[in-house]
Amino acid sequence: MKLSVWAGIRLVVHKEITAGLRFRAAWTAMLMFAVTSLACLSLALQGRDPGPVILAALLWILLFFSSFAGADRVFTDEAATGTLEVLKIYGPSQAVLFGKMIYSFGLLFVLACVLVPLYLILLDVTVLDWGLFSAVIFAGLAGIAAAGTLIAALTVGSSVHNGLFSVLMFPVILPVFLPAIGLTQQALTGDGAGLAYLGGIVLYDMILAVAASLLFDYLWYED
Amino acid sequence: MITITFDRVTRSFGGKPLFDSLDAKIRGGKITAVTGPNGSGKSTFLRLAGHLLRPDSGQVSVKCDDAELRRADYRDRLGIVTPELRFYPRLTAYENMTFFLGLRGKTLTTDTYRDLLKRVGLDETAVRGKFAGAFSTGMRQRLKFAVLLASGADVWLLDEPAANLDAAGRAMILREARQAAASGAVVLWATNDAGEEEKADEVIRLGGNPARRS
Repeated sequence: MKLSVWAGIRLVVHKEITAGLRFRAAWTAMLMFAVTSLACLSLALQGRDPGPVILAALLWILLFFSSFAGADRVFTDEAATGTLEVLKIYGPSQAVLFGKMIYSFGLLFVLACVLVPLYLILLDVTVLDWGLFSAVIFAGLAGIAAAGTLIAALTVGSSVHNGLFSVLMFPVILPVFLPAIGLTQQALTGDGAGLAYLGGIVLYDMILAVAASLLFDYLWYED
Repeated sequence: MITITFDRVTRSFGGKPLFDSLDAKIRGGKITAVTGPNGSGKSTFLRLAGHLLRPDSGQVSVKCDDAELRRADYRDRLGIVTPELRFYPRLTAYENMTFFLGLRGKTLTTDTYRDLLKRVGLDETAVRGKFAGAFSTGMRQRLKFAVLLASGADVWLLDEPAANLDAAGRAMILREARQAAASGAVVLWATNDAGEEEKADEVIRLGGNPARRS
């Protein structure tokens, strides 16, 4: 019986969650980085208001670099434990790609659920447009998950994986990062006129997912 | 029935040629042993046969009843047991098997699971609730076989499969490989053991400098 892609994705996500809960290194590293950086920022600012642009940029810098502490592990952990080969043999490419992408997104979403309330409290940030704020975070995290999964797959065999991941990730995620900062600033000030930018981020996320899907077959089935 | 053909295959590592214009044909329904001293390229031969590695030149084609198999379709029919193969260390035997077999579209019932463990000589009580990372080397090897058997693969790539197994384990592998070959599967068995080589139907000897075989 041929496995449907959706059933395969569910299996991969379930496996990732089970293994992730038993090996907490990835998500604790992300959370620790996020909380430590936020605490440092809060102490450095000492209650001063740096303005919405800086606050928005700080939020995305925190989310982006915290994701670095865990997003690139989706394939490197497999390679490190020696399970990548058996996954390649038994796992259909699309199920593995999207299963890992959804797990990455889930991990980032949990991170955001912890980080964003702390950010709002510790930096004394007021959000005036909650709808836009939530939508930007959701779309931005989806972009980070899609780009991170693809680039992690591309760089997994490299001996300089970490450096290469950062170098490749930055230009790929920039079209998400810059409008996300602008939109977050608008959500903080209540100038919610940037729906076109939000559409742009969603469109770019979709392009990333489709490109990853097309490219991943070559990575998975060719040596 | 599947046939794997090596046509003038050349493969080098770090500039050092391992195979030079290697020709070979592996047919389903037989156990084919791949032998040769250490470093002769037995594992590389298996990886080339499994399309897990590309030749520098030449071609490794896989046909099923004269129709060329696409890479993704071939992968679905492949099962391998190698020393490098690892299962998820923080999943139990059951969780690992459910996951990998699920990816092949197979459902693992409790009865099938018990039968498989029995068939490969794993004690169910000894593996219950235990993570695969805590298994002994022999138990891991048996688990690899359980997944291979349940996957229904009809191309078996076995790299030193009897390593770390006791006499009962070695007999189990030979019995299962013979049964798979009898049902038409390709069984490619890399070994240095003269006894295992003797039991194969065909032998591919590597070890030229670089290896050639006609």
